[in-house]
Amino acid sequence: MTGLLTYLVKRLVASVVTLLGVVFVLVVAVQFLPGDPARVIAGLRATPEQVQRIREEMGLDDSVFVQYWRFLENLAHGNLGVSARTGDSVASEIWARLPYTLELAFFGTLIGAVAGITLGVVAAIHKDKWTDSIVSMIGVMGISTPVYWLGILLIMLFAVTLKVLPASGASTPQSLVLPSVTVGVFSMAIVARMTRSTMIEELGQDYVRTVRAKGAAERLVIYKHALRNAFVPILTVIGLQFGTLLGGAVLTETVFAWPGIGRLLVDSISARDFPMVQGIIFVFAAMFIVVNVVTDLLYTVVDPRVRLYG
Amino acid sequence: MSPQRFSRPVNSPSKPRRSAWGRFSGSRRTACVAATAVAAMVLAACTTTGEPGAEGGTFTIAIGVDLDTLDPAQQTTTTVQNVIDYALETLTELDKDGKTTPGLATDWEISESGTEVTLHLREGVTFHDGTPFNAEAVKFNLDRIRDPKVKVPIGGAFAVIDSVEAVDELTVRLNLKYPDPALIRNLAITTSAIISPTSATKDGNTYENIVKPVGTGPYVFKSFTKGDKAVFEKYGDYWGQKPFYDTVEFVIIPEGNSREAALRSGEADLIMNPPVTDIEALENDPSIEVLKAPSDRAIFVAFNTSKAPFDNVNVRRALNYAVDKKSIAKNVLFDTVDVMDSPLAKSLDGYCSVDTYDYDPQKAKQLLADAGVANLSVTLGTPSGRYLQDKQAAQAIAANLAEVGVDAQVRTTDWPSYVSAIQEKDGPYDMHLLGWAPGALDAPTQFQMFQKAQWPPNGLATAFYTNESVESLIEIGNRALDEKQRSDLYCQAQQQIWNDAPWLFLWSQTLILAYSSDVQGVSYVPNEKFDTIYARPKS
Repeated sequence: MTGLLTYLVKRLVASVVTLLGVVFVLVVAVQFLPGDPARVIAGLRATPEQVQRIREEMGLDDSVFVQYWRFLENLAHGNLGVSARTGDSVASEIWARLPYTLELAFFGTLIGAVAGITLGVVAAIHKDKWTDSIVSMIGVMGISTPVYWLGILLIMLFAVTLKVLPASGASTPQSLVLPSVTVGVFSMAIVARMTRSTMIEELGQDYVRTVRAKGAAERLVIYKHALRNAFVPILTVIGLQFGTLLGGAVLTETVFAWPGIGRLLVDSISARDFPMVQGIIFVFAAMFIVVNVVTDLLYTVVDPRVRLYG
Repeated sequence: MSPQRFSRPVNSPSKPRRSAWGRFSGSRRTACVAATAVAAMVLAACTTTGEPGAEGGTFTIAIGVDLDTLDPAQQTTTTVQNVIDYALETLTELDKDGKTTPGLATDWEISESGTEVTLHLREGVTFHDGTPFNAEAVKFNLDRIRDPKVKVPIGGAFAVIDSVEAVDELTVRLNLKYPDPALIRNLAITTSAIISPTSATKDGNTYENIVKPVGTGPYVFKSFTKGDKAVFEKYGDYWGQKPFYDTVEFVIIPEGNSREAALRSGEADLIMNPPVTDIEALENDPSIEVLKAPSDRAIFVAFNTSKAPFDNVNVRRALNYAVDKKSIAKNVLFDTVDVMDSPLAKSLDGYCSVDTYDYDPQKAKQLLADAGVANLSVTLGTPSGRYLQDKQAAQAIAANLAEVGVDAQVRTTDWPSYVSAIQEKDGPYDMHLLGWAPGALDAPTQFQMFQKAQWPPNGLATAFYTNESVESLIEIGNRALDEKQRSDLYCQAQQQIWNDAPWLFLWSQTLILAYSSDVQGVSYVPNEKFDTIYARPKS
């Protein structure tokens, strides 16, 4: 147990250092965005006095180090700053939209993982036959299909023509279906490819021949033995997909009017709402780090040979 | 290892063939059950809106922008103002033709000197929280939007007010710094909408920031969920004509195609700005009506007149002749715009039709040759997605210009960078595409684009144009109390500006509304606002 604890503490310290670095890069990076944020937020018809006033409120004239320090100070008080556009607290805005992003990320990854592993296993078992080619084709289509196009197509089919699902929004449980599928298709393609190649490699190993010779049912060979051993790289890919989706699936959120943080981030960058941009990226970085740690810990469950700590 | 045929091991006892279900392991089975459950839920549930024809019911409007603030003073976007207009009212209002009509003020008088405006207020009006509407409430609001403590981005129009007096219960006097005939019209802008003074410090509201607007309008603001929707409910004690629908919901759908899908599937009753390319299909659909509402938004290409080659008026006029605006309006903008024939859009008060620069490439080439400029190479800046088909129009313009020997490089960037770039005299664009919309449909705001006092960084007169006679015509016109005199002066100014051609005059946009043909009573105000308060089902 102490081994695990020490390990977690070490990871925690590393995470904090990483986050400090992320914040610094953020504060510096936004300085280089062209355009005057105060003018953009005030609007075209604002008077110069109003623009100057907003500039002062945002603290735009302060040096990078002052802004960095201010962010850290606020953070220590659990405060992520105030949106330059709306005046609402950044933390509360992110908090309001985070559940939607988590939902979409979770179900999208779930669909992608389940469908992807299924397809990958099927392709590996029937390698170089018709089934394999079809799965490869699905894989390529999944990766190359533009999310936007797929989303709109699904809306047209299920919402407009068949009228069985809502066209957009997040008001009903059913509204989760189409966005998750849209997002899941890409995940599915990636997971399927990884599953197929690792499964083929595993199924070619000596121990598989041994297990078969021992008389195990084929199902056992595939799932309990080969897939289990192949799972580490598959898990890595799934973890990465989930982590990426946590940052919000901007295109999907736009097409489906899904109130997640992806669209909020893009809109805030367009509006030069620096406090919001910094807050969102910070939260995203923190979540991604957590996902990485959890994935690493899951490795030890899936593959007992992996030792993270003493 | 070569692939092997995986056959059953020889020694295994013969087992009954497992069902397909049996072959699935635990976790996969759960996933299948979950998927089936979801599918069942999906098929069992249908989304429905309120039935048309039912007494009351809900009217759903899909808009494309999220509400940044519910505070009337802090407004910058017309669509957001449009939403707030359901709950808040202004002292005067603008009608479908852009004329000023009574609102919360029934009539008004302007003194001889022009510096005193007396407003007579409507009797028997109460705010949604029960507070009576009176002169004190008006004073509170008009003082608030001139208070430096409050953020009022488009409050410039009210700076002319020196002080506000509540003369009696229903009379307010505004003392102005100088005569301003446009003020009455400016009191129709949502910025000066009247909120209940008692509500300004309650329920999450602060004097500096209103989050729950309490007004006198036909609907009461109920709730707003960011990125999702705003909900309003009918106000039983409204002073005027009662609307039909009990509830109005504004749903936020940023993507045009998704809005259209929501309309077609019945989830929305009315939508703003469907994709331009689908307008014809929507018009041909018997279940949908399309309304193209003229607006005040002028779209133009501003020349940087501060340096060559656009410091030469003949070059500017040449380019005006070189572009086939009618054709671009038809083919690139699908007939959703109105070609300009004056520096002012048709819906503005003070507009007078001046002239047209008809498509004449020969004349253009001649003018360019006479001016001694051959083979011009210029940069044409454009935003991307800010205005209807902006980038596409810029490309069409560049194509027209190429035909007269002008090489126009089209450049685009994101909006904030663009706004900064066009404000620089030595900026990256020789000419740039821009839009300008006076929300109060007044000439003075449009004329700002042609006045030196509004050159960046003080304003957005990005053509850096000035003409002494135009300046004085505008100055005097803005203060002239006699309407006839004012229109004459404005007309002369428009004529001169047209001839000086500081812009490549293009068109004014329309606001496009698409709605279910089961609904009637959908109207508009020509400042890019829809007016659906009195919408109701067709009986």
